[in-house]
Amino acid sequence: MRYGGDNRGRLLIIVLLVTSLFLITLDLRGVQVIDGLRTGTQTALTPVQKVGSWAVSPFRNFISDVTHLGRTRNQMDKLKAENDKLRLTLQSRETADAQLKQLKGVLNLAGTAGYKVVNAKVISQGSSTSFTQTITIDAGTSSGVHTNMTVLSGFGLVGVVKYAYTNSALVQLASDPAFKIGARIAGTQQIGILSGQGTRKGVLQLLDNTTQVRKGDALLARGSQNGRPFVPGVPIGEVTSVDNSPGAVTQTADVKFYTNFSTLGVVAVVVSGSSADPRDALVPPKPRPTPLPTVTIYATPGAVEPSPTPTPKPTK
Amino acid sequence: MSLRRFFYSFPIFFSVFLLQEAVVTQMRLPAGGINLLLVVALIWAALSTPEIGALTGFGAGLMMDVSQTSPGPMGHWTLVLIIACYAVAFLGYGDDNIRGNPINIVFLVTIGVVAAQSVFLLLGMMLGQEIGSISNVAFILAGSAFWTAIISPLILKVVSYFHIIIFGVRSHL
Repeated sequence: MRYGGDNRGRLLIIVLLVTSLFLITLDLRGVQVIDGLRTGTQTALTPVQKVGSWAVSPFRNFISDVTHLGRTRNQMDKLKAENDKLRLTLQSRETADAQLKQLKGVLNLAGTAGYKVVNAKVISQGSSTSFTQTITIDAGTSSGVHTNMTVLSGFGLVGVVKYAYTNSALVQLASDPAFKIGARIAGTQQIGILSGQGTRKGVLQLLDNTTQVRKGDALLARGSQNGRPFVPGVPIGEVTSVDNSPGAVTQTADVKFYTNFSTLGVVAVVVSGSSADPRDALVPPKPRPTPLPTVTIYATPGAVEPSPTPTPKPTK
Repeated sequence: MSLRRFFYSFPIFFSVFLLQEAVVTQMRLPAGGINLLLVVALIWAALSTPEIGALTGFGAGLMMDVSQTSPGPMGHWTLVLIIACYAVAFLGYGDDNIRGNPINIVFLVTIGVVAAQSVFLLLGMMLGQEIGSISNVAFILAGSAFWTAIISPLILKVVSYFHIIIFGVRSHL
């Protein structure tokens, strides 16, 4: 028999719905108690997440390998051969080495620009079932990390600190649909607004419709006042295609982020920007093709060709 | 309806919440991964009366709202889960064709997860949130349906077992 409900049941549903709407209203009006709930929960969860990160890392690496199997088969074949040599000596240090490599990249980038950074490990990646792109790092206000600080990887921009807790912080990735950043094109200095799209691809909207954008152009952060939320000069990505529709109000371009957000292990939070704008100094060099060795032969006119030496006949 | 019995389910949902936050989010599953708390709440609702379903949605929604990865305001997931869990419980209640067959419950929960996320998305848009490209949204919804269909049959027996312990034998599969 189909359920019809009674008055008490209906009243309960109404009370629950009204309570949830009440909570939404309170939060949207910025009531501190609601923010405190989330902060308290995250503070309590941070140690559990650290333990979880440590325990799940072998399984996570396995999943990552399976995911990239089809796309990077050639690369994996090469790495497999290399891994065979290294496995015996580096078996227990694979994770540490990967993080060290990312850390070196971050420090190189920050050092070139003169940023003062705090390094942090990624301890959790937010579920995208809520249609957001976030990560949690193991550095918080106790390490000098605060909201609206730029987060970098060795390749460039990762995102911005959205919430900072005592020992952890939530970072909104540049791929998040709600993420927006003022960007300029290296060299030409044209400016626009880059928006995340939920993937590694972003969309650049230029402010001036008469300017020209080319495929391969590098994008850098324009920077904000006092370096927050964005310090200037951070590499963001490169233009992969340009929409030059004549009827469009603004010119748009697709941008591929330099940072691969699914493989983040170590990041750096810029706690203080450089005294001078690094301008285009951080643009990553374009990959140059390896030169093939060539041999040029010059034919000199009048040169005598070597003739075979006659073999003397043996005398009887 | 026994509210006292309902409160016994809190440790179960809190454990699932911890599992979700500390372990599942670390795995970086492809196609957007899975929200274990959402799946467990909907299975629990499918085995319960509509009132218990709504209360379950309220409790699970609050937990999802206090999660740091929740993008919306506090109460966003709560509102969505009250509606979703009540609807799932309402559809299953009194119909042994649905409740007595695990395949139907898995189907109901999978549809429920996609519907809940869609409502969450629509509500988020009304509240001014950015949702990204349509293709990305479709990809995440399809991924959620895929993972729910994989995970639900694996945990259905466990969830049903705890439900029997708390609410008696009516939900026995």
